[in-house]
Amino acid sequence: MSETKRPAFAVVGKNERKVDGVGLVTGHPKFVDDLSLPETLHVRILGSPHAHARIVGVDVSEAEALDGVACVLTHENTPATRHTTAGQGFPEPSPYDARMFDTTVRFVGDRVAAVAAETAEVAEAALKRIRVTYEELQPVLSIDEARADGAPVVHDEEDSTGIYDASKNIVADVDIDVGDVAAGFEESDVVVETTCETRYAQHTPIETHIVLAYLDSDERLVLRTSTQVPFHVRRIVAFTLGIPMHRIRVIKPRIGGGFGTKQEVLLEDIAGLVTLRTGRPALVHLSRAEEFIAARTRHPMRVRVKLGAMQDGRLHAIEMEALSNTGAYGAHGLTVLANTGSKTLPLYNKAANAHFYGQALYTNMPVPGAYRGYGATQGYFPLETAMDELAERLAIDPIGLRRKNHIRVGETSPIFAKLGEGREGVSQTVKSCELARCIDVGAERIGWAEKRGAKRVDGPWVHGVGMSIMMQGSGIPEIDMAAATVKMNEDGSFNLLIGATDLGTGSDTILGQMAAEVLGVPLAKIVVTSSDTDVTPFDVGAYASSTTYVSGTAVVRAAECVREQILAVAGPLLDAEPDDLRLEGSAVVGPDGQSVGLDRVCHRAMYESEQFQIAATASFVPTESPPPFIANFAEVAVDTETGRVKVLHYVVAADCGVAIHPKLAEGQLEGSIVNGIGYALTEEMLFSSKGRVRNPSLFDYKIPGALDVPKLDVILVDSYEPTGPMGAKSIGEIGINGPIPTLANAIYDAVGVRLRETPFTPERVLRAMRRS
Amino acid sequence: MRVSLTINGATRDVEAGAGDTLLEVLRREGVMGVKKGCGTGDCGACAVLLNGRAVNSCLVLIAKCAGAEILTVEGLARDGELHPLQTAFLEEGAVQCGYCTPGMMMSAIDLLTRNPDPTEEEIRTAISGNLCRCTGYEKQVLAIRKAAERMRGEGDE
Amino acid sequence: MALHSVETVLRPSTLEEAWEEKAKRGESARFLAGGIDVVLYTPPTVTTLIDLGGLDLGFVRADEGALEIGATASMTQIIEAPAVGGYLGGFLGTALRYVASPLQRNAATLGGTIAMAHPWSDVIPALLVLDAEVILFDGGERTVSLEAFLGERGTGRESHPLICGIRLPAATEGAGGAYRSLTRTAFDVSLLNAACVGSIDDGSWQDVRLAIGGTPALARRVRGVEETIAGADVSEEAIAEAADAAAAAIDARDDLRASAEYRRELAAVLVRRCLSEVAGTSEGRAA
Repeated sequence: MSETKRPAFAVVGKNERKVDGVGLVTGHPKFVDDLSLPETLHVRILGSPHAHARIVGVDVSEAEALDGVACVLTHENTPATRHTTAGQGFPEPSPYDARMFDTTVRFVGDRVAAVAAETAEVAEAALKRIRVTYEELQPVLSIDEARADGAPVVHDEEDSTGIYDASKNIVADVDIDVGDVAAGFEESDVVVETTCETRYAQHTPIETHIVLAYLDSDERLVLRTSTQVPFHVRRIVAFTLGIPMHRIRVIKPRIGGGFGTKQEVLLEDIAGLVTLRTGRPALVHLSRAEEFIAARTRHPMRVRVKLGAMQDGRLHAIEMEALSNTGAYGAHGLTVLANTGSKTLPLYNKAANAHFYGQALYTNMPVPGAYRGYGATQGYFPLETAMDELAERLAIDPIGLRRKNHIRVGETSPIFAKLGEGREGVSQTVKSCELARCIDVGAERIGWAEKRGAKRVDGPWVHGVGMSIMMQGSGIPEIDMAAATVKMNEDGSFNLLIGATDLGTGSDTILGQMAAEVLGVPLAKIVVTSSDTDVTPFDVGAYASSTTYVSGTAVVRAAECVREQILAVAGPLLDAEPDDLRLEGSAVVGPDGQSVGLDRVCHRAMYESEQFQIAATASFVPTESPPPFIANFAEVAVDTETGRVKVLHYVVAADCGVAIHPKLAEGQLEGSIVNGIGYALTEEMLFSSKGRVRNPSLFDYKIPGALDVPKLDVILVDSYEPTGPMGAKSIGEIGINGPIPTLANAIYDAVGVRLRETPFTPERVLRAMRRS
Repeated sequence: MRVSLTINGATRDVEAGAGDTLLEVLRREGVMGVKKGCGTGDCGACAVLLNGRAVNSCLVLIAKCAGAEILTVEGLARDGELHPLQTAFLEEGAVQCGYCTPGMMMSAIDLLTRNPDPTEEEIRTAISGNLCRCTGYEKQVLAIRKAAERMRGEGDE
Repeated sequence: MALHSVETVLRPSTLEEAWEEKAKRGESARFLAGGIDVVLYTPPTVTTLIDLGGLDLGFVRADEGALEIGATASMTQIIEAPAVGGYLGGFLGTALRYVASPLQRNAATLGGTIAMAHPWSDVIPALLVLDAEVILFDGGERTVSLEAFLGERGTGRESHPLICGIRLPAATEGAGGAYRSLTRTAFDVSLLNAACVGSIDDGSWQDVRLAIGGTPALARRVRGVEETIAGADVSEEAIAEAADAAAAAIDARDDLRASAEYRRELAAVLVRRCLSEVAGTSEGRAA
């Protein structure tokens, strides 16, 4: 390992207290709903009762007449601009297929109208008085129905754009190949094939979607919103409402989780329009039921993987076919589909032949969007279980098969160049990869050698262990941009202004740490302001595991520019050349130990001589997306009489490059793994035959609680990424991909059944055991 | 109706609808540390201490709170000093987005008041009604254990 | 969230007063104990709530081996009461620990639980196998078996009579109880539950009481199996036979939590484990 490359850090690598932590543990009013403004209108949205229908007529007169109603919105009095709600860089690789309020409704819960009133109660009562006449249409409620000959067309309108083939409900179509898989399979000694299905799942952030819109004292529209993408919100709202972008300010305060569902412009258009029409603040806050039905979800997918290998275990051909249900609107449809292949196949770059193809299909169902993992989660299920099947067929240990085939430092995969965010990707060579070490430490920690195949019995419980490996990415190369501004204050402190979006991940803190490291000051001297489109420079926002790597590099660059300025001012003070000076301990230090405090330096620049504001803005667009890597190991016990699966021990060993803040990095892994365990064992949105969500509540959509967590071992393996800021890569998403295949493999080790559908409920497990 | 109750040590007379919940009333009174996550008692973000016991404030009618003592996260720090539980949460990295944190801490306070030396199982049971999507509960359990040690006078520092 | 239709909350100081206020208002009034289910399930036709908190119904007391628990005692109070710990080896507390989360147990009351009679209830199956009696007030005090009380009722969401509490008769000497439930996550309602109380005399089953709930219907006593197993040997075969018979006897249905078929399989397993635990076999202890 490259220990010699890594410098000793003063602030980076330490478990500093989060810069926003004290306010959070004292209940300081920091979230959207914690700011009350006088005269605020409460907005409630009327959702469609039908999965597919035309709105033939809508009569809001009774609703408007209700005392306390300020404003009613329908398709008749709102802009018709087609847009995408996906929070992506412009031009968004998602179809422009949404209208604020459409004349066709496309899923149960789709927007029909909105009422703004003095209280939420009055708004609810007014919703009930809106008379809508629907002409019901036949819905498509599955991928298969969407693809059938003569299937109803979900988007038959003329003015939508960016849809691959609307007449066939195909939002996106991807097909890339390397070599010749057909020949590859012929040449292989062993071929295995598996098809796996993942279900509708929801992020369930504990704070649902919420936005407060109001006019500031200069009549500009301010959107105080729980979002991961403030700059995309500003642009898309301006576009949708047809108002100039400079008349909008978007502020993200503290938010209560996102995980991808808030990488979307979901409510801000409605709140904004109500405020513009009435002059009053407007609050839109989804109920928990609405959060399930009308926010965003995981893309359910059916993914087939075929692997061909030689007798010695070397992969020779990989084929992955993905069919993705992208729901009623195509936001993120193409990019999640592409990611299913682009973040999985390069892991096994030894296969000379590879083929990834698939489609994202419209259905009349709730709308999937971005969700941690972003397609990789769905792809790794069949890939890592097929690898286990292959290992069994070849009589090779599953770990040995992974070791033989995974990508290594200095290597590339043609997939990197062929498959990116919905279009071509960017070629890259892996420059850091501690996956081998991750496998070593993880296997040891779980006790792989003793436990694999042992099938220890304990009453009705049978034990088993399974493993899997993953890669992800760090940002979107050559597309996403981050910027940071650092400005100095005369007490030797700095303001760090970043567009980057902290959803609780701690990015404010770690980006502050990076700046502090460059500037030679403690973290307390960095005052972080983030995610305010008037004040902070551009950043695409929190997604694609980009914040540490992309936003971090922008921060480092800005800090380095400021460092140059400081040294230039300090030179004369210390009678030395700036090149001979360095920053350390809140001072500028010279070669002979002479020093001057940063406050003195800034005073000079601010008040005394050749005055100027010491400040710099820097931007960064990455040219590569260095993958983090993980190796997962789990021990399960299966109750052979009830089918219940208990996860006893889960180990994840991770290479995230340098961990800027080890506890926050661990926290990302712990949270994403527990979420993944929920997705593997208990989480599933259920639907009626008419497309209505049957369990839109935490009562019947079960996410793990504190008693559902196994013994969890998170190991951050020492690593260093030369292209990363301070050697860092990323860690935000990758953990969630582990549990499904790891637990599936462990269940197979225990009771010999292969599960191909999530979640692995007791009933499904028992049924699988009975069948085998 | 008018209800007189004590919130974080201060007596307040609040005006409320007869059918209002404690959660709504608290937030209307400016006690913003109490969060709404679901409104149906399924997530625990709204947990407060009611006469010393942690409850979902979204399921308690204000009408049941006449003369009650309510403790919320805002009442934990004393004279500008953080409560050991708050400090432990900060030190252990147990706060990510922070939305579930106040409710979870109130459940922990209920536990530690009654059981100063809880096992890991007891800690997890105490917070079993507080859902968190960010953390996986690991560091929160560690933080509660650390706070318990300190409160018993056993911890370092 | 808030109950917007509720205009008045009364707090009577005697049972008579409470009863009269209800009689005056009929369906537009409901009794209020802890209030949890009141917040969740009260329809907009209800304008008055009658708070029972001032009626001293929060008691948990032993009475010569019998156990009396008042309607406004919380689940937590009941679990922590020494009298409950000493009754049938703490069996009731075991079942109550399955209820929801500590946050809900701190506020949910016995009276509210019986009044709502949720089909997934963990409390009702335990009370049924303890031959609980419900103490009601409707002008005067009267006692009716819990089983009969639940049989008389409809869905549980309707307006209910004034429940003062329950009485559990003295437990049989040497009897044991067991409770099993399968949930999806730990903080969850039962997909299926089974409660069992019984004693063994000279290697034979005596006085076995068995209830299965969450089928998805509310728990019921499985009388047929109780009669068949009485007097039978305490053996693995007899237990398995009884468990299978119990599973066949329940009215299992599909719902969004589980299928009827799975519930039936599960019922056999849970009953077998309960009986084994009561019989003190090693199988019962491990599962």
